[in-house]
This record gives sequence, structure tokens and C-alpha cells, in this order.
Amino acid sequence: MSTNSSLDAAALVRPLRLRTNLLWSLYGVWYRHVRVYCKTLLANATPPVLEPLFFFVAIAYGLGGFVPTSGFDGLPYRSYVAAGMVVSSAMFTGVFETMYGTFVRLVYQKTYAAMLGTHLRIHEMFVGELLFAASKGAVFATVVLLVTMLLGAQPTAWCVLVPLVGFATAYLFACLGLIITSYVKMINNFSFFATGVITPLFYFSGTFFPIRGRSALLDVISVLVPLTAPIELSRALFKAQFTWETLMHLGILFAYGIVLHIFALRRMTARVLR
Amino acid sequence: MHNAPVYAAPALVVARGLTRKFGDLTAVDAVDFDIRPNECVGFLGPNGAGKTTLMRLIYSAIHKTAGELSVFGLTPMQQRKRINARIGVVFQENNLDEELSAAESLEVHALYCGLDHRTARGRIAELLDWLALTPKARSSFRELSGGMVRRLMIARALLNSPELLILDEPTTGLDPQVRHTIWASLRELKRQGMTILLTTHYMEEAQQLSDRVMIMDRGRIVVSGPPNQLIEQHLERYVLQASGLAEAPAVAGDIRHERAGDADYFYSNAEQPLQALYETLPTPYALLRHANLEDVFLKFTGRGLHE
Ligand SMILES: Nc1ncnc2c1ncn2[C@@H]1O[C@H](COP(=O)(O)OP(=O)(O)OP(=O)(O)O)[C@@H](O)[C@H]1O
Ligand SMILES: [Mg+2]
Repeated sequence: MSTNSSLDAAALVRPLRLRTNLLWSLYGVWYRHVRVYCKTLLANATPPVLEPLFFFVAIAYGLGGFVPTSGFDGLPYRSYVAAGMVVSSAMFTGVFETMYGTFVRLVYQKTYAAMLGTHLRIHEMFVGELLFAASKGAVFATVVLLVTMLLGAQPTAWCVLVPLVGFATAYLFACLGLIITSYVKMINNFSFFATGVITPLFYFSGTFFPIRGRSALLDVISVLVPLTAPIELSRALFKAQFTWETLMHLGILFAYGIVLHIFALRRMTARVLR
Repeated sequence: MHNAPVYAAPALVVARGLTRKFGDLTAVDAVDFDIRPNECVGFLGPNGAGKTTLMRLIYSAIHKTAGELSVFGLTPMQQRKRINARIGVVFQENNLDEELSAAESLEVHALYCGLDHRTARGRIAELLDWLALTPKARSSFRELSGGMVRRLMIARALLNSPELLILDEPTTGLDPQVRHTIWASLRELKRQGMTILLTTHYMEEAQQLSDRVMIMDRGRIVVSGPPNQLIEQHLERYVLQASGLAEAPAVAGDIRHERAGDADYFYSNAEQPLQALYETLPTPYALLRHANLEDVFLKFTGRGLHE
């Protein structure tokens, strides 16, 4: 080994024009995550695709036999469950990416330590991360849509917007994941949040049965649970019916998104700058 | 400290009373220094002296607790983007992407450093070539030796064509061949006008590369200057070191004697009396040599453990 290269160092120190703008920085961070993710795609992506598949078969076919043929909420039961599942899969994708994924990058892979040596702003590092989680959410929501379609769900033309709902849902929950991660010291601590917070959200946000119409208190709670809004939006797409309530849910989604986004960036900034 | 002549180029890095605390611990304690363009400055210091913390302050990875710091005349943290666009960092700990190949690792880093895809490809090829890594471009991280990983870290730090290169222990744990190769590369960069800050535990490395060294201990810079000047200023010219002596021999007035544990050190500006002493010592473990940077280092940081 020697530095007998054909090239002299003069070429290496010539000034370069760097793209340090926000968009390119976000793209750069996003691109890094995509490249690393694609490297391990098979190992990573199989369970998140298979799990909703099993779940859909068990619920829509198994439990679905006991549901009135009229379904729920004006949707046949398979479509009802499919509409919930595209959103819940985006939620899981988003929140787990910024829980386990971010933690591994933070503590084991030292990805942010490396990024801190560059011009990237801390915000750019983590918005890039959120965009990556959201992109994954969009992809998984779409995959779930296609799989459930093959298994008997009946989407409408409006369902081309499912990737968008998946993206927004995953972004929102990725913000939540970052906030959780900013408090976590050891990777085992996540199971507390996963079981204590994320799983109940999945069960009690109307993914596969209607929550509302039982008690006034429960109604209010269910509207405010952050997974409800995207599920209602997804159902609106599956029904091709848009009302004032749809708009309200869109508003709730954005309100949650903005608040959690701001909080997540604050927390992560404090966490990495030390 | 150093009184720079008024006509000198403005300093690239200026620290005045720069301090960083972690709770009760003062990791960097009121340090003052100027780094001038195209200088190579080596920071030496025992484990925990605050070298890494000081480097991290310079590339805006942590906030200072007190004092002043400017880099390229800009304010770290507030102007992090503008400063770091002109800095390259080789970290003490490996933080390459282990899932990626050597070239891919550089590629993802190049993009978030601000290179477009095409520029990145060209630059990566050049850097791999320059650091003799081209045959390993497609190798996965696990297939790289320690020396290759370090060179890859250096290649990565150079992607954005930095004016200031920060190296945190660039050759720790490497074999002598790799270290000498890396030193040659760094000297070449310096000849091309780069300013280099490095931390190291190797006195030889500091001496080979640095115009000036700063010896740190418990967060403070205890002494600084050009390596040879430090040796001249603070020590006699020759050292006779011996170990395993049951009892130190009495020495003449022109020899200074120090004992640390089972080791004895005899210092003198003249070689002859030490040579005479050397021949009388009843131990095979004796060495007569020139005083070096390590002697200065130990003089200022003490011979005891710092843990
Ligand atoms: N993020 C941190 N939180 C708390 N303490 C810290 C932190 N970073 C460094 N320290 C402490 O500050 C002191 C200086 O650490 P630093 O890493 O700067 O030393 P160093 O000179 O680089 O040491 P080494 O030669 O071992 O790399 C040490 O006591 C270390 O434990
Ligand atoms: Mg260190």
C-alpha cells in the first residue's frame, strides 16, 4: 500500500461549489436512509408486508363472517378494515422507523455524529429523517392497499390518494417516535411505548370496528386520538364521500402534525447537541 | 500566548477563555489560542484532557459554556452551516455506514455534504485513488482493515474540499506502515494550503506533522509552541532513562535526576556525563537519547494516571 497515485493533491483541494440549500440537504439525508434501507430491504420489509396480510385475512375473513353484511359506516367490512389498515400500517412504519431506526442511528451507528461534522442543520437532519419515514409509510400503505384489493376490498378511484394519507400518517407518527426516542436511554425502553401507547392506538382508533356511537365521552376521546383523523380520511377515500367532518379530520391531522413536528425537532436538537 | 505579527493573515480559529462544562466537570477550561491559515496544530493530552470536546466546539457539535470562539471569523452554532461547509472532520470513533460499500459510504456522505451526483462520483474516484483505496471501492465495511477504514474516514472528510481539516486521533491503533502513509498524505494536503488540527496520543505523530503543539491537561492548555522549541525551552538536551535500579546512583551537579516508580531519568545538556553514567549503571534497561516531545508531555502532565 502506498500513495503512489497518479493524482496529485492539488486536484483534491480545488474549491467546490456546494449545494447547501434546504431542499438538497433534505434530499441528501433522505437519500442516505433510502440507500441503507435498500441494502437490507429483504430482511427489513418482509415482516411489515406479511403482518398486515395475515391480519387482514384473519379479521376480514374470519371475524368478518360475524359482521352484518351491510358492514360498518356504509362500507362492506373488507373495505372497512382495508381503509383502517392502510393507515395503521403507515402509523407503525412511521413510528417504528423513528423509534428503533433512529435510536440505532443515534447510539450504535453514530449517523448523526457523522452528520454533525457537515454543514447540515440539526433540523435538516431530522426533517430528512421524517421524510424518509413518511416515504416508507406511503409505500407500505400502498402495498397494503394493493394486497387488500386482491383479497376482496373494494377501493374507489379516490384511493389513488392513499399514498398521500399514508405519507401524512407516517410523518405524524414519526414525529411522535422521535419525541419518544429523545427520552429513551436504552433500546429496551421502547417496548413500553410500543405496547403501552402504539398498540392501544391501533386497537382503539376504529381500525376494525367503529368506536363511536357508544358514549359521548368515548366519542370525544376517539376524535382526539391521533390515529382517528387519518383513518377517517382513508374511509372517506374508500367511500368517495367528503363532508365537513372530512375537513375537520384533515385539520386535526395537520394540527397534530405541526405541534408534534415542532416538539420533536426541539427534543432531538437537545439530544444530539451534547 | 503567541503574539502574532500584525501583518499576519487573520486567524482561522480564535478561542478566548473558551469553556465547556458537563455538569460539574469542566472538559474545556478557559483555553486561548489562534490558529493561522495553513498551520498544522497538534493537540496532545492524556485521556479525558478535553481534546475531542474542543474539536466538537470548533465544528459546532456542542454549545460552549463560556468564552469566545470564532471560526473563519464566523460564530459556531449560529453560523454552523457556513462554517462547516468549509470544514472536514475525521472522527475519533468510526461512524461509517457499515451496511454500505466503501464507495457507497462516500456517496451518501457526499450528497448531504452538498455535492451533486455527478460531482460526487468524480470526487469519490479521485479520493479513493489518492488514498489507494480504489481496489476496495466495492468492498463491504467488514472486508476493510483498520487502516483502510481510517483512510476511508479521511477520504470522507475531504469530500467537500475543506479548508480546515480536523482529525481526532487519525492513526490510533494502526500499524506503522499505515501511519506513515497517512502522515505523508496529510503533509501533502498541508503543502496544498490546507489548515490542519489534529489530536493525538502519539508524540511522533505530533512532531512529524505539527508546526505547533498544544499540550492539554484537565481541560487546560498547559503549554504550547513548536515541538522543537518546547523541547529546547523546557528540557535539557539529553536524557538517560533506566529502570530496574535498586537504588539511584548519586550524580554530579550538572545532571538532574528524577525518579518515577521503578524508573529513573537523568537529564543533562551535555552528552558526555550521561554517557559516563550510562556505562556504570548495573541494569540492561537503560537508554541514552535526545530529549523529545514525550518528555515535555510528561513534564507538564505528570507521570501518574489521569483517571
Ligand atoms: N457528552 C458528554 N457528556 C458528559 N461528559 C462528557 C461528554 N463528552 C466528554 N465528556 C467528558 O469530558 C472530558 C473530556 O472528554 P474528551 O472526550 O474531550 O477528552 P479527550 O481528550 O478527547 O480524551 P481521549 O484521549 O480519551 O479521546 C472527559 O472527562 C469526558 O468524560
Ligand atoms: Mg478524544
